[in-house]
Amino acid sequence: MCQNTTEIPDESRRDFLGALTASVAGAGAIAACVPFVKSMSPSSDVLDKATVEIDISKIGMGQEKTVAWQGKPVFILHRTPAMISEMESSKGGKDPEPDSKRIQQPEWLVVVGICTHLGCVPNKTASGWFCPCHGSVYDNSGRIIAGPAPKNLILPPYHFVSEEKIVIGKA
Amino acid sequence: MSKKIVAWIDQRFPLSAFVKHELTDYPTPRNLSYWWGFGFLAGFVLVIQLVTGVFLAMHYKADSNLAFDSIQHIMREVNYGWLIRYLHSTGASAFFIVIYTHMARTLYYGSYRRPRELLWWTGQLLLLLMMATAFMGYLLPWGQMSYWGATVITNLFSATPGFGEDIVVWLRGGFAVDDPTLTRFFSMHYLFPFIISAAVLIHLVALHTVRSSNPSGLNLADKDNIPFHPYYTIKDLFGLGIFLLGYFAIVFFKPDLFIDPANNVPANPMQTPADIVPEWYFLPFYAILRSVPDLAGGVVAMLVSVLIFAAMPYLDRSRITGGARYRPIYRTLFYVFVIDIFVLGYVGAHPPASLMKLTGQIATSIYFLTFLLLPFVSRWEEGRLLQSGKLPADVVDMARKEIEASHA
Amino acid sequence: MLKTVYWISTLCLTLIAGTAHASADLPSIQRGAHIAAEVCNGCHSLKYIKYKDLLSIGLTRDEVNTLRGEKSLGDPLKAQMAANDALALFNVVPPDLSLMAEAREGGPHYIVELLTGFAPGADGQTTNRVFPGIKMPDIFGIAQADPAARKEIEQKAIDVAAFLEWAADPQAEARKRMGRGVLIYVAILTALFYLLKKKIWRRLK
Ligand code: HEC
Repeated sequence: MCQNTTEIPDESRRDFLGALTASVAGAGAIAACVPFVKSMSPSSDVLDKATVEIDISKIGMGQEKTVAWQGKPVFILHRTPAMISEMESSKGGKDPEPDSKRIQQPEWLVVVGICTHLGCVPNKTASGWFCPCHGSVYDNSGRIIAGPAPKNLILPPYHFVSEEKIVIGKA
Repeated sequence: MSKKIVAWIDQRFPLSAFVKHELTDYPTPRNLSYWWGFGFLAGFVLVIQLVTGVFLAMHYKADSNLAFDSIQHIMREVNYGWLIRYLHSTGASAFFIVIYTHMARTLYYGSYRRPRELLWWTGQLLLLLMMATAFMGYLLPWGQMSYWGATVITNLFSATPGFGEDIVVWLRGGFAVDDPTLTRFFSMHYLFPFIISAAVLIHLVALHTVRSSNPSGLNLADKDNIPFHPYYTIKDLFGLGIFLLGYFAIVFFKPDLFIDPANNVPANPMQTPADIVPEWYFLPFYAILRSVPDLAGGVVAMLVSVLIFAAMPYLDRSRITGGARYRPIYRTLFYVFVIDIFVLGYVGAHPPASLMKLTGQIATSIYFLTFLLLPFVSRWEEGRLLQSGKLPADVVDMARKEIEASHA
Repeated sequence: MLKTVYWISTLCLTLIAGTAHASADLPSIQRGAHIAAEVCNGCHSLKYIKYKDLLSIGLTRDEVNTLRGEKSLGDPLKAQMAANDALALFNVVPPDLSLMAEAREGGPHYIVELLTGFAPGADGQTTNRVFPGIKMPDIFGIAQADPAARKEIEQKAIDVAAFLEWAADPQAEARKRMGRGVLIYVAILTALFYLLKKKIWRRLK
């Protein structure tokens, strides 16, 4: 096919061919990594656990219940009128945020129970939560009041299905 | 920039010298055919198996109650799990196809001959390791074939004189194949590939010491050697492309080709499937096992049938180089042997009815006869050929020199 | 050289064409899904199939809701009969059907043959041609059916087998789609390797 070509175009064609082959092969090698990388993302059965339905009718006034969502603890606190008024009048600590932004219904606080410092699970106290690892203190709106944690407790996506049921997670 | 980095490394580690010595300057015979590309392919398949295996192990559960379900979890729920599993299950068969071809090339061209005995033996070791790995991996899906295959093969050790039963119990970690067997097979199945990788390095060191053989069988002059890179890198890559076409055709369009239907039934220790067959790559040896009426005899025959390849450098007493190329009788023996292996494979896949059994016994005899006849046939053919005057002069020269050396 | 390029591409095209089955018959699979969930599921589990999986073969949400009743979308199709009851009744627990189409020699074809293989035996008992002594009753009553009913039953058997074939290998379609792309890519890459090899080796002449 190329018998008549001279030396110079010959060489340049080899370079072009070499570069083309290398890039096609390289692109394939990269594409071949995709399935392997993706195989490490949550599988479909794990994603199915992305939402949980919780019956909240049994949680008494002033009580807290810890439920698992995506393998993480979620605190559901049934707040008393006293707690509510106290929280509404406070702005929180180093990460100020009004209480109204952290709730859907004033009686119910739903927060991810993981300290924003290094991931321990805080314990319930009368005035909020206390993290046993490094002493971070949260109030009854889940806002950081004292200690090393930088941020308020995270709010999971959730919605009320009825008076007695909430669904945590994006439906 | 990259030059600077390489220079920095070279002061501390002989990188450039290594690349030069083993790749860009490594002298390779220029007349190698595509049959010489199967070693590279085997290395490539080893990498496929290692990578897919590591990713499968992230999702697989080595527990007799969970193993079967975890495979279905991989097939149905893990992202691309089906792809990774089919790459691995098809890869096992591809590995044997490649290795058997690699061995056949060695046998045909007499590449096992002096000075390549050690190269051949490290290859033999690799084959044994591969067989062990494949056998243990086959238990992991915990299907009916997995279970009964492992039961039958571990039972072979009961043929050991004196304490056979104890060995079987020890191997299984119980009185039957069960959870302890599964967990230890998984452990070993994960370990062995790394031993194989180390053995491959040894194989390559041996290869680069004695250099590649070539189809002419002659020791080539310097001008007939070319650098491995780029000539053989690109030739091997083309071969790889052809291989991948076939491999992917199976992975994507016929992935159950190498999966026995019975292995889609969970293991049931109370019921053996109607006819159990090993994976295709064990069939010839399985046929030899069954052809000997006595259990201990069968086990010995099967062991010998695998190990006897190691004796090839001594069984083949001809000093004419090039294997089957210049030796018509050896060539005939080679083809008879290959056909015989296919016959044995066919027999191994079928229930041992009377005609099948007889065929198996004849084929088994031929299998061993080819090895037993070889020392006599090869020496006799050597004399005949040297006198015939039909051989190329340099082949005769080489043979004469070797004969003289052996007298001295 | 052109010849070789041609040879490679032909090989690939034949491979692709030869192995690409006609797309699965969706309506048949859907009818089969109803039969499997309404009839077979009475005794057999389909534990690797969840109700929501049925959406992916085109059943509507309403259809799936009717099939699942009280159960949630994420539940597997467990057998309605408890294993112990089945054991007492049939002396054997009916096997799970999710992998059945790949667990017998012959696959879906075997299932059709099995379901339509019932016939009145010599002693008045119903027997099965492909599985003599089977403990499963003649589900569709084909042994007593007249020719018109027979036709209908045969179609049902084909439909349920088609569904079980899908159930055993739900990724089959995605796999083949991806396979076509991969084979075409490798064919191009191989052709490039070939050209480059020719080019490099020409330096030796
Ligand atoms: C009344 C209960 C019942 C129903 C309904 C039923 N089966 Fe079965 N089936 C059984 C039993 C019991 C067995 C076990 C038979 C044996 O092993 O002898 C069985 C076995 C099978 C087998 C396996 C045969 C083999 O080769 O081992 C298949 C396939 C099968 N059934 C398909 C179906 C399909 C498809 C349907 C729906 C159309 C169905 N069955 C409905 C009770 C049932």
